[in-house]
Amino acid sequence: MKFNVNGQEHNVGDIDRDMPLLWVLRDRLGLTGTKYGCGRAQCGACTVHINGAAVRSCSLSARDAEGKKIVTIEAVSGRVADAVRSAWQRLDVVQCGYCQSGQIMTAISLLSNIRKPTDAEIDAAMDGNICRCGTYIRIRKAIHEAAWSIAQGR
Amino acid sequence: MRGIVIGAGASTGLALLVWVLAASIWSGEATSQRHSDREASLAAWDRVVTVLQHPRCSNCHQPKEPLQGDSRRRHSPRVVRGRDNMGVPGMRCGSCHSEHGNNEASRVPGAADWKMPPRSMSWARLPIGQLCRALKDPTKNGRRSLNGIVKHMQEDSLVHWSWEPGGTRESIGMPHDVFVELVEEWVRSGAHCPD
Repeated sequence: MKFNVNGQEHNVGDIDRDMPLLWVLRDRLGLTGTKYGCGRAQCGACTVHINGAAVRSCSLSARDAEGKKIVTIEAVSGRVADAVRSAWQRLDVVQCGYCQSGQIMTAISLLSNIRKPTDAEIDAAMDGNICRCGTYIRIRKAIHEAAWSIAQGR
Repeated sequence: MRGIVIGAGASTGLALLVWVLAASIWSGEATSQRHSDREASLAAWDRVVTVLQHPRCSNCHQPKEPLQGDSRRRHSPRVVRGRDNMGVPGMRCGSCHSEHGNNEASRVPGAADWKMPPRSMSWARLPIGQLCRALKDPTKNGRRSLNGIVKHMQEDSLVHWSWEPGGTRESIGMPHDVFVELVEEWVRSGAHCPD
C-alpha cells in the first residue's frame, strides 16, 4: 500500500488494509511523534491530520488513509502551526508531554477553521484530547494566545 | 296521464331507494375497510416503533449530543452536533468513525456518511403517537414523503449499520427486510398513528 505522509509518497508493501494508521506511521515509517494512548479513540494522543482534518490514527485504518494527504506532528507547518507551537513554548504548556502532539494537532485543526474560538468552541474541539497531567488551563490559554498572534499577523 | 305520472314517481322512488341502499352498503364496506386499514396500519406501526426506539436508532436521533451503547450512555469522548450535524472543527464524526465500516481494532463503529440526523428529527424521547406524527411531518422527517421514508429505511447506510453494528453492540431484533415490509405496510394502509 502507498501513503502520502508529510508530503512524501511511501510504499509500505503488502500490509493488512485493516491495520490502524497509527501502526503504519510508527512501526512502518518510524514517525514516533504520534503517540499510542488508548487504541480506542478515547484519548486523542494519536491525532494526525488527514486532508487537513484532525483524526484519530488508532481508529482509522490503512484503507481509510490510502490516497489521502496525511500530516503528522513531525512536519505540520504553516502560519497556524507556527503560532500554536510558539504559544505552547511561551506558556510552557507541556508537563510530561505524552499527549501534547495530539493536543497540538487538534489545536491547529481548530484554529485553521475558527480563527478566534470561544472557550466553549475550544472545549468542544479539545474534549477528546486527554491530558493526564491536567494542563487543560494552559492549553486553552495557549490556543487563545495563538489566535491572537495569528490575528496580529505575527 | 295521472297514472303515468304516479308510475314514473314510483319508479323514481324505487330507484332512489335502491341507490340509497347501495350507497349505504358501499359506505358500510368503506367504513369497514377504513377500520380494517387503520387496524393494519397501527399493528404495523407497533412493530416499526420498536426499531425506531432501539438504541441503534435513537442514540443518534437526539436533540443535542449523541448517546452511546446499549445502555444509552453519554458519548465518550464528548461530542457536539455542530452546524452540519457532523461535529465541530477538531472533533468531527469522521475524526474517529470510518466511512468504510466498523473498526474492530478500536471498536469504534463506522459506516458511510456517519453523522447525526438534523435536530428536527430528534424523536428519542417522544411518546409513540408523537413519534409517529413526527415521522410523517416533512418539517420533522428531513423533508421526506411517505415513500421517501420507506426509501430511507431501505437504503440509508446508517439504517443498514443498525443491523451490523459490530463489537458487542446489540443488533436490531428483526431482519431488515421484515422491518422494511412493515414500514411499507404502515404506509400502504394509511400511515395511521396511535392517539
